[in-house]
Amino acid sequence: MANYHSVIEKNVGLMIVLTLVAVSFGGLAEIVPLFWQKATTEPMSTLRPYSALEMAGRDVYIRESCHVCHTQMVRPLRAETERFGPYSVAGEDVWEHPFLWGSKRTGPDLDRVGLRPITEQWHREHLRDPRQVVPESNMPAYPWLAENTVDWSHMERTLKVFKNQFGVPYSDQDIDDQMNKVRGEWADATEEDAVVAYLLSLGQARREER
Amino acid sequence: MSQFWSVYIIAIVVLNLAGCAILLLVNLKMTPEEARNETTGHSFDGIQERNQPLPRWWLFLFVGTLIFSVIYLVLYPGLGRFGGLLNWSSVTQWQEEVALVEKRSEPLFQEFAKVPVEELHQYPEARDVGGRLFANNCAICHGSDARGAKGYPNLTDDDWLYGGSADAILASITQGRNGMMPPMAAAIGGTDAAVHDMALYVQSLSRPDMTGDPQVAKAVERARPKFAVCAACHGQDATGNQALGAPNLTDGIWLHGARLEDIETTIRQGRNSHMPKHEGVLSDERLHVLAAYVYGLSHGGEE
Repeated sequence: MANYHSVIEKNVGLMIVLTLVAVSFGGLAEIVPLFWQKATTEPMSTLRPYSALEMAGRDVYIRESCHVCHTQMVRPLRAETERFGPYSVAGEDVWEHPFLWGSKRTGPDLDRVGLRPITEQWHREHLRDPRQVVPESNMPAYPWLAENTVDWSHMERTLKVFKNQFGVPYSDQDIDDQMNKVRGEWADATEEDAVVAYLLSLGQARREER
Repeated sequence: MSQFWSVYIIAIVVLNLAGCAILLLVNLKMTPEEARNETTGHSFDGIQERNQPLPRWWLFLFVGTLIFSVIYLVLYPGLGRFGGLLNWSSVTQWQEEVALVEKRSEPLFQEFAKVPVEELHQYPEARDVGGRLFANNCAICHGSDARGAKGYPNLTDDDWLYGGSADAILASITQGRNGMMPPMAAAIGGTDAAVHDMALYVQSLSRPDMTGDPQVAKAVERARPKFAVCAACHGQDATGNQALGAPNLTDGIWLHGARLEDIETTIRQGRNSHMPKHEGVLSDERLHVLAAYVYGLSHGGEE
């Protein structure tokens, strides 16, 4: 093998190219095929797109970085399915952009929180002051959510992006209906209303399996 | 997974393993010239790069990982559609785990189901199981110590909105409860003063000493006749009605706060409380154990 390595060592460009080739195999074998697997590209039959209110709640969820402390990923382990509900599958997240799986559980997983027998009232009290209902909680309070009204200025565009760019099956009629609600009953909705609606929507695709 | 992707993955995996093995083999031997010189011939800034045979321990580790990966790929899924000789998958592992625990726990739950709720809480095993179920299902509202929170009843005292019998507790958990007190301000006069008077009256029911203050005594006297509308649910003697979930107002236990302001708010706005039903969330046997645990919280003395 004479001195081929000295050629590589002395040509930074060649070394970069060969390094990229070397590290790409893992991705080529583990990631690329997923783009064409039905399990990851086909939505579950029970999945429904978010309403505008839930979508607004999801945006607040992202803005407040809830996903930093809460995962949305129930793993196929008995202890987790016992505590949270059915384990997560890829077909549930086909319309999630971006996905909010998270990577660390400082708080509990929320992927099935909408299936749990928790009242809307509890969610509101808990968001305003978690220690009011769970004294040992270390979750920060989010009292401003109840005071801020939802900023609806981008919602129509958001829904259209999800429809056109991400392939979420909203019809034009659906978007009109949602925007009528935004101008009507949800016009003065608070961010808390939106977040609670979003939380209660989580896991609904798996209601039958609970 | 289609045939194409299966072959594609197998090809990449096999090529990688073969590539690693070949890379190792061709670098194993040094040419006689290299061995003589003890250097690779590289010189950077006057520093010579020495050439040594690969250390044995490192070489064996490398070969070990190659052998490991071959054994792994034979036993576990990794080569496209080939599922491995062990036929392992995370889903079947989960199913086996669930089935195993069910097999071990179901006889226990069946046994518990034969014991009436009133006695079951004295079984230490049932108490342990019930405590876990409580922690996972009830504690977020009623607290991990079951002492409740504002708006969420304390389950360790002997004060019950819907009754503390075993049947009533089981019904509360299974079917849930809807507690509804309408706004009462209009019915008792509608003025702030009337609400204030009534709040003092209600507060004085569990604190008779308050009427020592002549101001309070006057307010109480003004409110007393209007309590008739409250009595429809809370009873003439204000001790409540468990059929309606109307709390006893004379025992000094306050679900929505003991302060005068809290009581005024309750009178003015009413209260809506909702205990979700757990039928369908937990199996009947588990509900039975849970009811026994809750029953035991206020029927201590067994230890």
